Amino acid sequence: MADVKTINLTIEGRPVAVAEGTSLLEAARTVGVLIPHYCYHPGLPVAGVCRMCLVEVEKAPKLAPACATSVAEGQVVHVHSEPAREARKGVLEMLLINHPLDCPICDQAGECELQDYTFQEGRKDSRYKEPKRFNPVEDFGGDVMYVPNRCILCTRCVRFMDDVAQDPVLNVSERGDRAYIGKFEEKDLTHPWAGNVVELCPVGALLSKDFLNKARAWELDRTASICPNCTQGCNAIIETRDNVVVRMRPRANADVNEYFLCDAGRLDYRWMNGQNRLDLPKARQGGALADADWDVALGAAAAAIRGKRTVVVASPMLSNETLHLLARLIKATGGAGAFRVATGPEAPLPGVKDLALRAERAANVAGAELMGFTKTDTPFSGLVDGDVLVIADHTVTDADLAAANRAGAVVVIGTTMPAGLSRVEAVLPITNFSEEEGTFTNLRGRVQRFLQAKAAPGLARPSWFVLSDLLASLGQATDYFVPSDVFTALASSHAEFAGLSYDTIGLRGLPVLGAAQAAGAAP
Amino acid sequence: MATSKEMGGLHAESHATHGSSSHLHGEPYQPVFVGARRQELDELMTRYPTKMAVLLPALWMVQEDRGWISEAAMAEVGEVLSLTPAYVKGVVTFYTMYHQHPVGKHFIQVCTTSPCNVCGAEDVVNAFLTHTKCGELGVTSEDGRFTVIEVECLGACGFATPVMINSDFIESVTPEKVPDLLSKLT
Amino acid sequence: MGYPHAPHARETLVLSKYFGDREAIGLDGWRKRGGYVALEKALGMTPADIVAIVKDSGLRGRGGAGFPTGLKWSFMKPGDGKPHYLCCNADESEPGTFKDREIMRWTPHALIEGCAIGAYAIGAETAYIYIRGEFTEPLARMEAAVREARAAGIIGPNAMGTGKRVDVWVHKGAGAYICGEETAMMNSLEGRRGNPRIKPPFPAVAGVFGQPTTINNVETLAAVPHILNNGAEWYKKFSRPDNPKSTGTKLWSVCGNVARPGNYEVVMGFPFKDFLYDLCGGPLPGRKFKAVIPGGSSVPIMNMEEAEAALMDYEGMVAKGSMLGSAGCIVIDDAQCMVKQIARLARFYAHESCAQCTQCREGTAWTTKIMERIEAGQGTVADFDTLLEIGDNMTGKTICVLSDSCAVPVVSGIQKWRHEFEAHITGKRCPFRTAAAA
Repeated sequence: MADVKTINLTIEGRPVAVAEGTSLLEAARTVGVLIPHYCYHPGLPVAGVCRMCLVEVEKAPKLAPACATSVAEGQVVHVHSEPAREARKGVLEMLLINHPLDCPICDQAGECELQDYTFQEGRKDSRYKEPKRFNPVEDFGGDVMYVPNRCILCTRCVRFMDDVAQDPVLNVSERGDRAYIGKFEEKDLTHPWAGNVVELCPVGALLSKDFLNKARAWELDRTASICPNCTQGCNAIIETRDNVVVRMRPRANADVNEYFLCDAGRLDYRWMNGQNRLDLPKARQGGALADADWDVALGAAAAAIRGKRTVVVASPMLSNETLHLLARLIKATGGAGAFRVATGPEAPLPGVKDLALRAERAANVAGAELMGFTKTDTPFSGLVDGDVLVIADHTVTDADLAAANRAGAVVVIGTTMPAGLSRVEAVLPITNFSEEEGTFTNLRGRVQRFLQAKAAPGLARPSWFVLSDLLASLGQATDYFVPSDVFTALASSHAEFAGLSYDTIGLRGLPVLGAAQAAGAAP
Repeated sequence: MATSKEMGGLHAESHATHGSSSHLHGEPYQPVFVGARRQELDELMTRYPTKMAVLLPALWMVQEDRGWISEAAMAEVGEVLSLTPAYVKGVVTFYTMYHQHPVGKHFIQVCTTSPCNVCGAEDVVNAFLTHTKCGELGVTSEDGRFTVIEVECLGACGFATPVMINSDFIESVTPEKVPDLLSKLT
Repeated sequence: MGYPHAPHARETLVLSKYFGDREAIGLDGWRKRGGYVALEKALGMTPADIVAIVKDSGLRGRGGAGFPTGLKWSFMKPGDGKPHYLCCNADESEPGTFKDREIMRWTPHALIEGCAIGAYAIGAETAYIYIRGEFTEPLARMEAAVREARAAGIIGPNAMGTGKRVDVWVHKGAGAYICGEETAMMNSLEGRRGNPRIKPPFPAVAGVFGQPTTINNVETLAAVPHILNNGAEWYKKFSRPDNPKSTGTKLWSVCGNVARPGNYEVVMGFPFKDFLYDLCGGPLPGRKFKAVIPGGSSVPIMNMEEAEAALMDYEGMVAKGSMLGSAGCIVIDDAQCMVKQIARLARFYAHESCAQCTQCREGTAWTTKIMERIEAGQGTVADFDTLLEIGDNMTGKTICVLSDSCAVPVVSGIQKWRHEFEAHITGKRCPFRTAAAA
C-alpha cells in the first residue's frame, strides 16, 4: 500500500488526523463536525459555489471554502466562530431574498436543507423589500419537475448529469440573478438515472412528480432496505405512511450504488402495496378450496407433499432465508427447483464503477442459484406425473399452465393467487419483501440485509416462518424464531456463506466467499 | 421560458416567430457547417487541443450567417463539435452578444455604463428610440429594421458615447448625430 | 499622447508613441519603427534570461492586479513535458478603461511581438489573444497582423527561422465582462461558460486545457519588447525616487466629465492633480470636479481632496484610499448625481455576475434594486445599514472579486457622499434631476 501522508490539524478544538488531500469539510466530518453546505456532495465533483461552507482558518486572510480547501499541517479551523457564522447567515439571507415562502405547499418541507440551516443559523426576519424574481414551473420530463423560484443554483443536478450520468442534458442558463437550470427544449430528462437529481436537490426546486403532494416528510416511517427490482442490489430506504409504501430513496453504500438509485427501481414500489393479495390460508376441504386456519392449511400442504417428489418453482425475489428453506424442502422430497427471471435493457450509471440497472429484474437471482435453483425460461417443464408443484410466489403465465397442471397436486405459497391452476391443495399466504426481514444476494455475490418496512395484510405470514412450519410438519427439525436463526442455518450449510451473520453483514452487506465465481465474472 | 427582465431590456425580443424555430416559415433547417464554413471550422480546430474550444467561434459563424442562433443551430453545432444541445444552449445564454431570436436588421447597442452615463448616454438612447420609432428598448421596430438596447461598457469610454450597429463600432455619438447616422442605414 | 488629442509635453510616449499613426499598423511600417528587433533578440536568448530581465524591470500586470510579471512568468516550470500556454487578456471591459483597444488597433504588431516573447519565455508554443467580441476594429487589425506575421515567418512553426514554434492566435469573446477574470477567460477559451475557477489549482499548474498557463494583459505584453530593447534599468528609471516598487510608464484612460478625455501615457508616480488639471484640461466649462475613480469602476471612489494629493502609481493610490487598478480614470463633476452613478455601476455588476456564488448572484441584484429605489426617491434610512451589510457579505467570500467590486462604489458613496443619499431619502426625489427631466 502506497504511503499516504497524514496531516494533523485542529477543527473546532478537536484534533484531526487525515490523509493529505482531504478537504476541510470531510476532515471535519471525521470528528463529528458538520460544516453546513449545499453544493458539495461526496458523489459529485467539487464546485465551491454556494459559499455556505466558509470557515475561519487562523492566520489566513480570508474565510476558506471547506469543501474546496485541502487540509494543511497545523491548521486551526473554526466552524462556529463569529466570522464563519456571520458568513453563513449572509449566504442564507441572500438565498432567501428571491426564495418564495412556499414551505406550506412545498414537498421538500421537513427534509429541506434551506429550512434546516435557516432555522439553526439564519435571520429571523427578511429585510428584502423589492419584488421577487418569478419564473413558472417546468416539466423536465421523466419523473422530474423544476420549480425555478426555489432553486438556489447549487448546480448539483447539472454536475450529476454531466459527470455521473455522463449525459449533459441540464445546464445553467443565463447569468447573474436571471440564471436558472435549463435544458434543451426537445430533449427531456429521460436518462434512466435522472431521478437522482431530485434526491440531490437540497431544496424543493427539483421534485418527483410521482411523489408530488403525496405525503409530508415528517409523516414518513423510514426503513433500511434493498431495492428489489434488479440484481444490482442498490441500498435503499423504504418510506411508508400508514402502512403504505409511498417512496423509495437511495441509501448510501460505497461498495454498491454509492448514493444513487435508478428511476426504474425507485419508482417501482407500488406492487408492494398491491391490494390483490392472498391474506387468508386456504385448504381443499371436501373438493373445494376454502379459507382455513393456518394449522389446517399447513396440514393440507404437508399431506399433499408427503411421499411425493416436489418441484419448487420459486420467485427470484424471495430472500436467501426463504430459498434456503425451499431448498431443504426439495432435498427432503428428492425434487428440483427452478425459476424464471424477467429481463429488460441494462442501463449503466457510467460515473460509478460497476453500477447499472441490471438486465435481470429480480433481487435474488444469485441467491436462488446458490441455493440450487435452476434459471430457465420454462421453470414448470421439469414436472413429471405424480410430482407435487410448490409455487413459491412465482408468476404463472397462460403459457406455463399446461406444464404446471401436469402436477398431481399444487401448493401455492405466495402473495397473490395465480389463475388457471388445477388441483391446488393448499394456499399459504406470505409477506412480500417489504413486510419481512431477510437478505438478498446481489449479482456480485454481496449479501445484504433488508428490514421490515410495513405490516403484512390479513393473516399472511413471513415466508421463512411459513416454510419452517411446513418443514416441521414434514418431520424436519426447525428451530427458527427469528430470521437471523434461518440465516445462521443457511450459513452453516452453504460454504459460500460461511462466517457471515446478520451482525457481521450489518446494513452495509458483505460479499460471499468466491463471490466472483458465484455471480459470473465481474467486469 | 421567459427571461426575467429585472436588469432592464438587455436581451432583445422580436416580433418574429419564436418557439421551435427550426421551422421558421415552415422551412426545414439548413445546416451552416457545409462547404466553405465547414472548412473554416476545420481549420480553426487545428489551433486548439479540443473541439469544444471552437464553440464560441462556431457560434459566431452561425450568427454571422443567420443573424441569430436558433435551437436547431445549437443542435447542429453540438453535433459537429460532439457536445449536447443543452450544453451548447447553456453557453449561448451566458454570452450577451449571441442573439437567441431574430433581431432588427440594424441591431443598435448603446453603452450607458457610468463613464458614458455621465456624458449623456441616456440622451443618446432616447434619440435612437425616437428616431427609429422603436419606442421601447429591446423591441424591434414595426418595419423590422431596428432594435435598440442598452449595453454595458463597450471599452471606448473616452469616446463617449460609443454605439455598435451590428458589428460596426461607432465612437463619439451624440443625440444630434443620431438622425444622420440612421439615414445612412438601409 | 492624450490620444486622440495631441501629445502633451509631460507625457512619456513609449506604448502610445504611434497611436493615430496609420503606417504603424502594417508589418512594413512597424518594422520601420523598430518592430520585431526585440523578438529576434529574445529568440536567441534563454527563456530564463528573458524572465530575469522582466523581473528586474519591475514590470507589473497592467490589467488591474499589478502582480509582478517576471515573478508570474517564473511560476511556469520548464521541461515538465507539458504543453504551456500564454493567454493575452484583451477582454478590456472594466468601465473607464480603453487603453488595450488603442494598442491593438494602432500597434497590433507590438502586441504580437510581446505575446511571442512572452510565450517563448514561459516555454509555450501557443499564445491565444482573447479579444472581447465588441472590439470590431481591434479584432480585424489583430487578425490581419497575425496573418502578416505568419506569412512573413515571424511567428508560426519556424519563428524567425530559429526552428522554434511560436503560434499566436486571436480568439473572439462574446460579451461577458467576467471573462476578463483570468480563470474565467480560460474557461471561455475552452468553450465553456465564463465562470471563474476556484484556486488552487493555479493557472501555472493547471490552466487552460488543464495545462500550465500564464495570463497577461495587453499593455503588460506590449511593454516587454521595449524592456528587452532598452534594458531593465531604463524601465526602472520611470518611477518615483522614493518608490522603486512601481516602475515604467502607464497608459491612463481618462473619461467622463473632463475637457480632454483620452489615453495618456505618464511615468509611474506622476502627480494626479497636475494630470487632471493640466494634461487632461481640467473640468468642462462652468463645472467643478466632484469625484474621481482612478483605476476602473472596481476601485474606491476618491473625492477631490484625496485625488489632488495622490501620486499615480500602485502605492501612491493605495495611500490615498484607492487603487491604480487598470488606470481607467472616470472623472465625475458636480452636475452628476453620485447615487445615480453608483446605482448604474451596481447594475453593471449585476448584469455581469456569472451566477456561481450566492453572494454575488443575489447581492449584486439586491444592491442594484436598493440603489435604484433610493434614486427614485423611495429610499429609507434603514437602507444604509442594509447596503453596508450586504456589501460586507459580498466582500472576501466569493470565488472572484466581482462581488467585492460591486460593494466598493457603494461603500465609497456612503462614506463620502452620504449627504447625496440623504437628500434622495428625505426629499423623496433626485436633487440633480432638472425640472424638465423629473
